Amino acid sequence: MSYESFLAGNPLVVTAALTGGVHGKEANPNLPETPEEIGRAAAAAERAGAAVVHVHARKPNGERSFATERFQAIDDAIREYADDVVIQHSTGGTGAPDDVRHQPLRTDPPPEMASLDMGPLNRYDHLTSENTRGLVDSLYDEMRERGIKPELELFNDGHINEVYGLLERRELADPLYATLIFGPGTLTRPTPENFLNAISNLPDGAQFNTLGFGRHQLPFATMGVLFGGHVRVGLEDNVYYRRGELAESNAQLVERVVRVAEELGREVATPAQAREILGL
Amino acid sequence: MTCPYLAYRSEGDGQSFDTERAYCTAADRFVQAMRADVCNDRYDLDHAEDCEIYLAHADGES
Repeated sequence: MSYESFLAGNPLVVTAALTGGVHGKEANPNLPETPEEIGRAAAAAERAGAAVVHVHARKPNGERSFATERFQAIDDAIREYADDVVIQHSTGGTGAPDDVRHQPLRTDPPPEMASLDMGPLNRYDHLTSENTRGLVDSLYDEMRERGIKPELELFNDGHINEVYGLLERRELADPLYATLIFGPGTLTRPTPENFLNAISNLPDGAQFNTLGFGRHQLPFATMGVLFGGHVRVGLEDNVYYRRGELAESNAQLVERVVRVAEELGREVATPAQAREILGL
Repeated sequence: MTCPYLAYRSEGDGQSFDTERAYCTAADRFVQAMRADVCNDRYDLDHAEDCEIYLAHADGES
């Protein structure tokens, strides 16, 4: 994908990362945590232009949950409140055992998409989310068995190598869909040069999604729009609307990136178009 | 064994919640969801190895 893809007018898939598994209401009280809150947030994000919602599950006190039952309750709420949005479950989980990481894949019906973290990243000062190749393969195999489209999460450039490695070990359905992640710490340093380098290193035919953490969310989403990729915004990745001002909702962040896309002449995909683009 | 600095509170550090949440009495703030698993020694996590806040206070730092 490239600037030519932008000029070709391919629709933009907007993903809203509603909740996340790291911070919660202590960081922004508008972040949805309960199934009811997540369901309503998904509907509002869809109305604002999101075609995909990326969801994590929480316990009633906001702590992480990987339980199938909790994801089921969230999916049920999303389907109750939203119209046609694509549901994407997270399989991330720093410190959680491998068997626990599989649980979000086992709802009925399964999610249409699920994240697949392609390698290690550091958390805090003494933790690493390992995401071994063995876990990547086993999660991928269960996704394939259940008809779930993997969203390959690339936290840094080394994880692009891991994509090629996965392609040698498994046959991925076209199009390959990868999220390029930019920010601090283990993430790819957020520079335009690194963005261009990353998209040029992806396998031929890949569709890419663009994720910038914190203050980098909107600038990198804009680059994703301009270079024919797709974008992810939401309170999981950024709790602020602008410096010192907390975002009011996920929908507010979706509305902003949709405005940018429309000003740049890029059509925003409906959920039905997103399914076609991503091969769901 | 959970972290000795862990408490569950509905109010603190200028915030209030309907449900009691994990609060770090060493840092005097509510903790993130992921860190709460460290505080509670869930899964393979261990506050005595994995939490820099605990380690700093265990070493006598403030």
